[in-house]
Amino acid sequence: MLSKLLTPKNLRNLVIILVVAGILFLAVSGYLTPFFSFTVSPFISAQSWMSQRYLAFSDFFNSPRDMATLRSENARLENQVAMLQSEIVALQENVAQSDILYTLLDFARSNPEHEYIAATVIGREVSPYLQYVIIDKGSNDGLRHGMPVVTQQGLVGRVDALISDAARIQLITDANSVVNVKLQAAQVEGLVRGSITGEISLDMVPVGTDVEVGEVLMTSGLGGTYPPNIFVGQILTMQSKENVLFQTGSIQPVVDFSSLSAVLVIMNFDAVDISPLVP
Amino acid sequence: MISYLIGLAGYLVTLMLQLSIFSQWKILSGSVDLLLLFVVGWCLHDRSKNLWVLVLVMAGITSLVSALPVFIPFIVYFTIYLVIRQFHKRVFQTPLLGMLIVTFAASLLQTALTIGTIFIQRVDIDFNAALVEVALPSLLLNMLLAIPIHAIVRELAFLAFPKGVEA
Repeated sequence: MLSKLLTPKNLRNLVIILVVAGILFLAVSGYLTPFFSFTVSPFISAQSWMSQRYLAFSDFFNSPRDMATLRSENARLENQVAMLQSEIVALQENVAQSDILYTLLDFARSNPEHEYIAATVIGREVSPYLQYVIIDKGSNDGLRHGMPVVTQQGLVGRVDALISDAARIQLITDANSVVNVKLQAAQVEGLVRGSITGEISLDMVPVGTDVEVGEVLMTSGLGGTYPPNIFVGQILTMQSKENVLFQTGSIQPVVDFSSLSAVLVIMNFDAVDISPLVP
Repeated sequence: MISYLIGLAGYLVTLMLQLSIFSQWKILSGSVDLLLLFVVGWCLHDRSKNLWVLVLVMAGITSLVSALPVFIPFIVYFTIYLVIRQFHKRVFQTPLLGMLIVTFAASLLQTALTIGTIFIQRVDIDFNAALVEVALPSLLLNMLLAIPIHAIVRELAFLAFPKGVEA
């Protein structure tokens, strides 16, 4: 029986199986690693060399197309960034405009005796000798000649001329502007005049009146041009010359006229024209 | 006809720029008058016979928009028109020099008329401050901007008069 199984053919197969199993066992157990390293490393080196050359070759032919793609992508992203930046600027402008309008709204709420309409300043006078601004509200919005114009800080001027959708405002800094004011602490009245250079000054304050620097000026309501109790400015300096009846002074206006962007027009005040009564 | 439209469109664009931007650019209290510069530049380059119609329209628009007395833009602009017509009759060959001379003279005329009108209205004027803080800075700005405005108007005039504009 055993002699039948141990034929030369079977014996050869058995030896082969044992050798293969032995080699597998040695390989799995790590005894053949130095051998594999020695025999495989040339192939790996060759494979690596060939792969690197192929990649370089592939990059050489494909890179222009990638550059074009990258450039177009870059241009698209740059456009997107520019668009977002312009949106940010627009939003910042909106926030600034909203802040101004909220402040004007607060002013309107704290002075409920008047009716207001908000307007945006859209232009300034052409001539440097005159101090006027143009606003985006006109007769269609109910504006009329002579209506006072204010901001949350104080008096701005009055409506001088208007068309259907715009109006021209004479600022209190204009050379032709005169505002009747009262000095709160000194309990006297005077006139605030504009000038050709856009500065305002106090006039017609009787000599002998003790006027403090920093004193607040408010409209008196005399003359019927402006309603009373609107802030106009503060006294910077006072001058009193000999042999004159009145003191004069320079005024710091409470409104920054150089950065005027939004105003309120007082709608329920009709200016009185007293010029026919002036002798 | 197209020259009138181009001239009027250029003037309206200049008006918007003046009202919204250039009126706020100040040296002391003086500012540039782009409208005056545009009128001078356009009159120098426009050779049409009825240019006075456009000058009339420009003066009318300025007197509507500005708080200046109505007659001042008409007097100043028509003086500019007449002076430049005299220049053309004498074969004035250097328009840039003409631009500077007419700008200088027209600025002085406009200043004199404006201050004179305010003075007649019995407003107290500090003439020294008016001269130092408004008139001279405005004149300086007008003279400085006369050169670029001349170049821009010249290019604009090429559109209106492709063959008739002098170099």
